[in-house]
Amino acid sequence: MTETKTPIIAFDQVDLSFGDTQVLKDIDFQIEAGKFYTLLGPSGSGKSTILKLISGQLEPTSGDVLFEGQVMNDWPAEKRPVNTVFQNYALFPNMNVFDNVAFGPRLKHLSAAATKTKVVDMLHLVKLDDYADREINELSGGQQQRVAIARALANDPEVLLLDEPLSALDYKLRKDMQGELRHIQKELGITFIFVTHDQEEALAMSDWIFVMNDGIIQQNGTPEDIYDEPINHFVANFIGESNIVPGIMKEDYLAHFVGKDFENVDAGMRPNERVEVVLRPEDLDLTSVEEGKLVVTILEQSFRGDYYEVQAVDDDGNHWQVQTTNSSPVGERVGLTFDPEDIHIMRFNESEDDFDARLEQYEDEKPDEN
Amino acid sequence: MSKFKWSHLYLWVVFALLYLPIGFLIVYSFNSGNVMQGWQGFSWSHYQELFGDAHLLEIVLDTLVLALLSSTLATAIGTMGALWIDRQPRELTKNVLLSLNNILLVSPDVIIGASFLILFTALGFSLGFVSVLLAHIAFSIPIVVLMVLPRLREMNQSLIAAARDLGANSWQVLSQIVLPVIFPGILAGFFMAFTYSLDDFAVTFFVTGNGFTTLSVEIYSRARQGVSLEINALSTMMFLVSLLLVLCYYLIALRPKKPAAARRRRQREVNP
Amino acid sequence: MKTRISWTYLIFYGGWLLLFVIAPLLLLLWQSLNTGSGHLSLDNYGQFFTSGLYLTMAFNSVWYAFLITLVTLLISYPTAYFISQLKHQQFWLLLVILPTWINLLLKTYAFIGLLSHNGVVNSLLAGLGLGSHQLLFTNWSFMLVAAYIEIPFMILPIFNALTEIDPLLSRASQDLGASKWQTWRKVTLPLSMPGVKAGIQAVFIPSLSLFMVTRLIGGNRVITLGTAIEEHFLVTQNWGLGSTIGMILIFAMVIAMILTRDRRKS
Repeated sequence: MTETKTPIIAFDQVDLSFGDTQVLKDIDFQIEAGKFYTLLGPSGSGKSTILKLISGQLEPTSGDVLFEGQVMNDWPAEKRPVNTVFQNYALFPNMNVFDNVAFGPRLKHLSAAATKTKVVDMLHLVKLDDYADREINELSGGQQQRVAIARALANDPEVLLLDEPLSALDYKLRKDMQGELRHIQKELGITFIFVTHDQEEALAMSDWIFVMNDGIIQQNGTPEDIYDEPINHFVANFIGESNIVPGIMKEDYLAHFVGKDFENVDAGMRPNERVEVVLRPEDLDLTSVEEGKLVVTILEQSFRGDYYEVQAVDDDGNHWQVQTTNSSPVGERVGLTFDPEDIHIMRFNESEDDFDARLEQYEDEKPDEN
Repeated sequence: MSKFKWSHLYLWVVFALLYLPIGFLIVYSFNSGNVMQGWQGFSWSHYQELFGDAHLLEIVLDTLVLALLSSTLATAIGTMGALWIDRQPRELTKNVLLSLNNILLVSPDVIIGASFLILFTALGFSLGFVSVLLAHIAFSIPIVVLMVLPRLREMNQSLIAAARDLGANSWQVLSQIVLPVIFPGILAGFFMAFTYSLDDFAVTFFVTGNGFTTLSVEIYSRARQGVSLEINALSTMMFLVSLLLVLCYYLIALRPKKPAAARRRRQREVNP
Repeated sequence: MKTRISWTYLIFYGGWLLLFVIAPLLLLLWQSLNTGSGHLSLDNYGQFFTSGLYLTMAFNSVWYAFLITLVTLLISYPTAYFISQLKHQQFWLLLVILPTWINLLLKTYAFIGLLSHNGVVNSLLAGLGLGSHQLLFTNWSFMLVAAYIEIPFMILPIFNALTEIDPLLSRASQDLGASKWQTWRKVTLPLSMPGVKAGIQAVFIPSLSLFMVTRLIGGNRVITLGTAIEEHFLVTQNWGLGSTIGMILIFAMVIAMILTRDRRKS
């Protein structure tokens, strides 16, 4: 299989401002054809704005948006080879399901027969075969969602943009749709760019995630990379649950926090550099006071079905969140235990590039250590 | 029904008063006497008189043609106005335009009539059907704008983005998405404009010449000379037409729900 | 394409604004300053404000319009409120709207029959032993007919305002211990005020100028500014003075608008 070297969509130092407010700052990325990408971030982080720049609803203030290497800043929306599934679906209320899906093909002057085939195929793809004659207001939210997807796909886009399409659905339906969207993407083999504020959704569906905040891409990588190696406080907090405490990297592979030294697996920092230490709640476990690396007092415990969610406090006053299968009564002093590779170190103000460079260096060194 | 309520009594009294004059007109249209006093027995004679009065029937026809023409044109221009106001990027421009729009809506009829009379005279325009038509279009436009504008505001803006996204140009967005979506507002505007035109007396009275007259103006001049029950017969007919129009309007206004319900019925019949 | 569509809007709608909104107002102003000598002067205004007749007429117009509005409001608010509590609101609303579909002149004309010397109302009064009275051609009959005509235009905005209020609010108020009356006084009434103001606007301004009702029912006398304008334009042909009265009416109207403005918008 030969890979085309030109990315299907690329942003080259894109800035976007509305008046005095800068919405996007120096956005620079490239995406490959045929993968499932997710833009993840809180509301107002600029993720939907990126979609609008790709779909042509907005133009960058400076920088370029490229499609297969061609600058497409001023291409009108209707001429771009991308289609959008809108957050509130934006189904045309004056048309039934069939006419909604047929809207794009008809504008392209496809024959009636070809249009019909297309619509039938698309409705089949989203499992709404029998719904062609329905009015939009007769559909449930989940069904409207499927129509919106079918309508966008009926235009044969090279890239499908999905703007928080699942946010209005209830939990169960959302889970089902996540799987289905992933399935549709694989089946069609086109590029999906999916916007969401739900980190769980992003981790479950994506080949590649861009984490956004304040109009900046904070970090991008595979779901595993981003979960395991958050680059900064924001990413660590936003993706999954985190215990973050201040600390010092005394030397390579030796961290100091909560008044104690801990062996760990991070390297490449200045000696005695001030850092933040991240420990994921699911990596922590409770044990006896003697065996614990830290001693904490249980503040609160709640049952979550497959585990207990425990809130505890150490003697320095740091709060610890622990997910464990061991139940402990509130007020009891217990030991807290974790492995060296569970300790993740974040430097202050480290850019993504610096981070990647250090990571590479440290991965080179790591085999020697083991 | 189970319990007597003062509020219901109040409503009955108000509605009785509201319909008393209309009922009165209708009842006396069947009076065999010639005045709206003293019931002298049932008769169709005033209806025969009405249908034999070619002059009056012609005026009725003129009035209807005028109302149809003026409301159609006012609806077209008013819809354009609403689209134009809605796409103004600045809130201030919108408000200024809307205030200007509403001037004719809140102005007393007499002022509109008098100022239009000055306008037509200043332009050297001869008074007659065309001046009345222009005046009716002019005072009906603002209500159309007011009926259409909320629909445009309520319209989900992503519908337009979606249509463009799927490849529609400006004209296709307008004709296939925007106009169909705001159609109920346009229809309501048309009906309002139609009623405004039918109901107008003062403005027409000012700007009509000797050659053209509408029903309102005719009734005014007849009523001043003396009451004829032919007018009652006409009122009754017009009341029935109004009722019909209201019914039509509500049938059309409720239309979106109909086909769906009908189809569901059909489906049930096919696969029980 | 986009600009061509915009230009079409501008030509038709903008043309209407210029020709039929702005131009007539300016012409009316110009005419009111025109005394026939070719110079612009305030003579017409001087004449208006030094004439006891016109000042009384101006006062009467406002006073009658106020009374008509008040009577209409007192009848319409409970009506709108009770309708808003009913099951088939839309049907009852239709019954309110229907009379507005009947030509104004026809309705006025009906009252000539009802109120005339040998008419139904007088027969009723006579039957009750109250004797017959001169009802037609009095100021009271003018106000009665005007109020009758305006009632639907008062009911509609109040009804709309009432139905826009979340019904949970009055349930919440009663849940918190307010009586029905207190709920109406503290919750429903304040929230329905925009509708009341819109209704007052819809009734007060036309009431300033209902000239044919004055002519037909009020007895062909010139008692309001509306009648005076008609008189000057169509009978005495004194357009200058007619326009002056028009400008003063517009002034009264603007004041009424400002007083009943919906402040939440700004």
